[in-house]
Amino acid sequence: MALLDIRNLNVAFTSYGQRTHVLRDVSLRIEEGQRVALIGETGSGKSVTSKAVLNTLPGNAAVESGAIHWRGQDVLRWPDSAREGLKGVEMSVVMQDPLSSFNPVFTIGRHLEDVLYWADRRNDTRRSRRDRRAHILDVLRKVQLGDGARVMEAYPAQLSGGMRQRVLIALALMNRPALLIADEPGTALDVTTQDEILKLINALVETEGLSLLMITHNLGVVRMMADDVYVMRKGVIMEHAPLAELFRAPRTDYARDLIAAIPPLYGPGVKDQPAAPVSEAPLVQLQGVHKTFAARRLFAPAQLTHAVRGVDLEIQRGEIFGLAGESGSGKTTVARMVMGIMQPSRGRVILDGTPLDQAFDGRADRRLAQIVYQNPGTSLNPKRTVGQTLEVPLRFAGLSRSEIQPRIDALLDRVGMPALFSSRYPHELSGGQKQRVAIARALAANPRLIVLDEPTSALDVSVQAQVIALLEELRSELGLTYLFISHDLSLMRNVCSRIAIMLRGELVEQGTPAEVFADPQHPYTRALIAAIPVITDAEDAAKPRVTDEEKARFLVSSAA
Amino acid sequence: MATAEPHGADAPVQILSARRMAWLRFRSNPVAVIGALMVLSVLFCVAFAPWITPYPAHSGNVLDFANRHAAPSADHWLGTDKVGRDIFTRVIYGFRISLLLVVGVLGVAVPVGAALGLAAGYFGGRTEFAITGFTNVMLAIPPLVMALAVGNILNPNLINAMIAIALLWWTWHARLVYRVAKSVAAEDFIEAARLAGASHWHILTREILPNCVAVISVKTTLDAAFIILFGATLSFLGLGVRPPTPDLGSMVADGRQFLPEMWWGVLGPALGIFYATLGFNLLGDGLRDMFDVEV
Repeated sequence: MALLDIRNLNVAFTSYGQRTHVLRDVSLRIEEGQRVALIGETGSGKSVTSKAVLNTLPGNAAVESGAIHWRGQDVLRWPDSAREGLKGVEMSVVMQDPLSSFNPVFTIGRHLEDVLYWADRRNDTRRSRRDRRAHILDVLRKVQLGDGARVMEAYPAQLSGGMRQRVLIALALMNRPALLIADEPGTALDVTTQDEILKLINALVETEGLSLLMITHNLGVVRMMADDVYVMRKGVIMEHAPLAELFRAPRTDYARDLIAAIPPLYGPGVKDQPAAPVSEAPLVQLQGVHKTFAARRLFAPAQLTHAVRGVDLEIQRGEIFGLAGESGSGKTTVARMVMGIMQPSRGRVILDGTPLDQAFDGRADRRLAQIVYQNPGTSLNPKRTVGQTLEVPLRFAGLSRSEIQPRIDALLDRVGMPALFSSRYPHELSGGQKQRVAIARALAANPRLIVLDEPTSALDVSVQAQVIALLEELRSELGLTYLFISHDLSLMRNVCSRIAIMLRGELVEQGTPAEVFADPQHPYTRALIAAIPVITDAEDAAKPRVTDEEKARFLVSSAA
Repeated sequence: MATAEPHGADAPVQILSARRMAWLRFRSNPVAVIGALMVLSVLFCVAFAPWITPYPAHSGNVLDFANRHAAPSADHWLGTDKVGRDIFTRVIYGFRISLLLVVGVLGVAVPVGAALGLAAGYFGGRTEFAITGFTNVMLAIPPLVMALAVGNILNPNLINAMIAIALLWWTWHARLVYRVAKSVAAEDFIEAARLAGASHWHILTREILPNCVAVISVKTTLDAAFIILFGATLSFLGLGVRPPTPDLGSMVADGRQFLPEMWWGVLGPALGIFYATLGFNLLGDGLRDMFDVEV
C-alpha cells in the first residue's frame, strides 16, 4: 500500500466567473521511504498539487474529481478537521521563502514552541515546558543547528537564509511526520547554501525514515534528491519514470527539451566562447575601485559597509565578461559603477578611454552603455505599453515622430517579437517576452556595452536558453560587448568568454571559463563549482574537490 | 533561435485586460455598485434640479407664510421651512452647493498636492525634506480653526469656505502621492528611463504619475464625502453660504431652532447630507477594491 496515492486529480480555479482548469488527471504515488520529485516550470501546477494534498488550496479552488489516498484512505472524503490533523503530524511542508514563513516579531523559539504546543494539544500528549524545550533542542540538533539555545533566542531577521531554512525543516520534523513535502527549498538560497540544505534533507530522509515529495524546477536538484520523477507541464503529468531512466532515455519531447536546455558544466556539450583580441584600449577599465556605503546614525559614528574592495579589471571590446559571485559579493555594485549610476569611493572607472568622473554628470554616455535588469517584472512600467516604453530612448535621442514607429517595429523584430506587441502592456506578456522588450530598450540607444544583471535568473530554463541565444546573436551581429553578471556558474561556463569570481567585494580569480573550470585556483571558486547541482555522473566526477577546512574558511556556514 | 514564445505559453491562466479585470471586480461588489448609483443620482439631481423638483422657485427668496412649518405630506414630501418653502426642493438644490464646494476644493487641492507629492517622491534630498516638512506643518493646523480664521478675516461666504478647506486639503494628497511616487521612483524602470535619456518632466508625468492615478482617484472620491460633511459643518456654523441660497448645513441650522416639534426642518437636509456622503464613501470603497490600492 502506497503512503500517498493521488488518482486522476482535477482541480479548477474560479475567479470572477472565469473557470480555469489547473490540474488535469494528475496521478502520483509515493511509497513509504521513497523520494519522489515533481518537476515543472512556472505555472505547471506543481505547487497546486502539493496544496491539494495538504488541504491548503485557496478558497476559489475546487477539487472537481479524483482521489487522494493517504495510507489507503481517500482523504478528500474526510472532514476538514480530520485533514487538519494530518498536517504537521503525518505530513509536513518546507516552503521556498524562509523569511516570509516567519512572523518577524516572535523569536524562533516561540515559533517552534507554538507548533509543538498545538500539535501536543491535538494529539492529547502532555508535556511540560522543559520537556518541550528539550525536544526542540533535539530537533534543532537533527537539522545540524549546533547552538540550538542561541537560535531559539534569535528573531527571524537575525538568522541567515540557510539557518532559517534549517529552522523551517526543524519545524516540519517536530512531530516525526511520515512525508516531507519540500517546495523549492533551495531556490531562494545561494548555491553553496542550497547544496548544504539539500544534503541535510537527504540525510534526514535516511535517518528519520521519511518519504519525500520534492517540488522543484531544477533538474540538477532532482538528480540529487529523487528516486522517482514526475514531469509536469500546464497541469498535466507529461512523464513518469525512475530517475536514471528519465535522464538516460526521456520519452517525451518536453522532457528531452528540458534536459537539453540545461547548460552543461563539464564534458563534450560545453561551449567555449572565442576569446576577444586583447587591445591597448579596452572598452572598460576599473582601476583599484572601492565602494563603501555609510549608514548615518544619529548618536553613533556612521556604520561603514565595504561593498567593493580594490577591484581591477579590464573588459575587451567584443567580449562577454562574466562577473560571478553569491548574494552580497558586490557584483551588482560593480555593474552600477560601470554604468556611472553610482560613483566609486576610491579608484577610477574608465569607459572607452574616458574616466567617468570627467564625463558629463558622472554618468556613462547612454550611447555607450545600457543595462538589462534581473527582474523583467519591475524593469518595465506596468502603465506603459511596449511601444511607449521603446519610444522613450528614441524620442530623447532626437528622432522625429515619423521615424520612431518604424524603428520600434525594427527593434521588436530584432528581438524576435512581432510588431503587434507594440500595443501590449507588460502584464499581457510572459517573462521571456518582457525580457526581450527590456533588451530591445537597451538596444534602442545603439550602445556598445550592455550590462546584463542576472538577465535570465527570473526565467524558466527553456526560456533562458532562448534569451541567451538571442543575446549571442545580437552580440555577433551588432558587435556588442557584454558585462554578464550572474550567480549561475554553469550558465556562465557556456556564455562567457572571460570570467571573474567575486567574494566579499574582492576579485579572487579571473580567467577564461575553460581555465577556471578545469583548474580553479582559489578554494572559494572550487567550493562554488562543487556546489552546483549537475545532471550527469560524469559532470559530478569532474567537479573540483574542496576540503571541509577550505569550506569553513570561505563560506559562511548555515549550521551555526 | 530568436523566435518569440507563443503568446502566453507559460501562463495557463487566461490573461484579462487590466480594465476588464477591474470592471469584473467592481461589478461583483454590490456595495460599490450601490454607491455608484447613489452618486449618479446626486449628479442627476444637480444637473436637472429645475426640472425634477416640484417647486423650483423655492430655491430662492419665496415667502409663503400660509404654508410655513407644514408637516411632510403628498404636496411637500419633506415638509416646509419657517417661510413656507418646500424642503425637498431645497435639499435637491442644496446638492448643487455641496458639489460646487467639492469641485472647487478638489480642483485646487488634488493637482497641487499631487504635484508636490510627485516632486518630493522623485527628487528626494532637499526637495523631499522641504515639501514633507511643510506638509507636516500644515497637517498640524486644525481645519476648523483655519476655516474660522479665514471666515473672520475675509467674509464668511462660499468662496472663502472653499479657500479655507483647500488651503489644508492638498496636504493629504501630497502625502499619499509622495508615498506612492517614492516607491515607484525606486523601481528599475525609472532608472532605465533615466538611462534612456528621459527628462525629469517625462519621468514625472509619463512614468510615475500613471502609477498614482488609482490612489488619487480613490482618495478623491472618499474626499468628496468628507468635504460635503465639512462644508455642511461650516455653513451650520454660519461660515458658508449666505441665505437665501439653499445649503444643507445652513438648513439644518435653521431647522434646529424649531426642534423637537418641527422635526422635519432638520430631518430633510440631514437625510440629504447622509445620502450624498454615504454614496461617495461606498463608491470610494468600491474603487479601492477595484484598483486594489491602499489609501
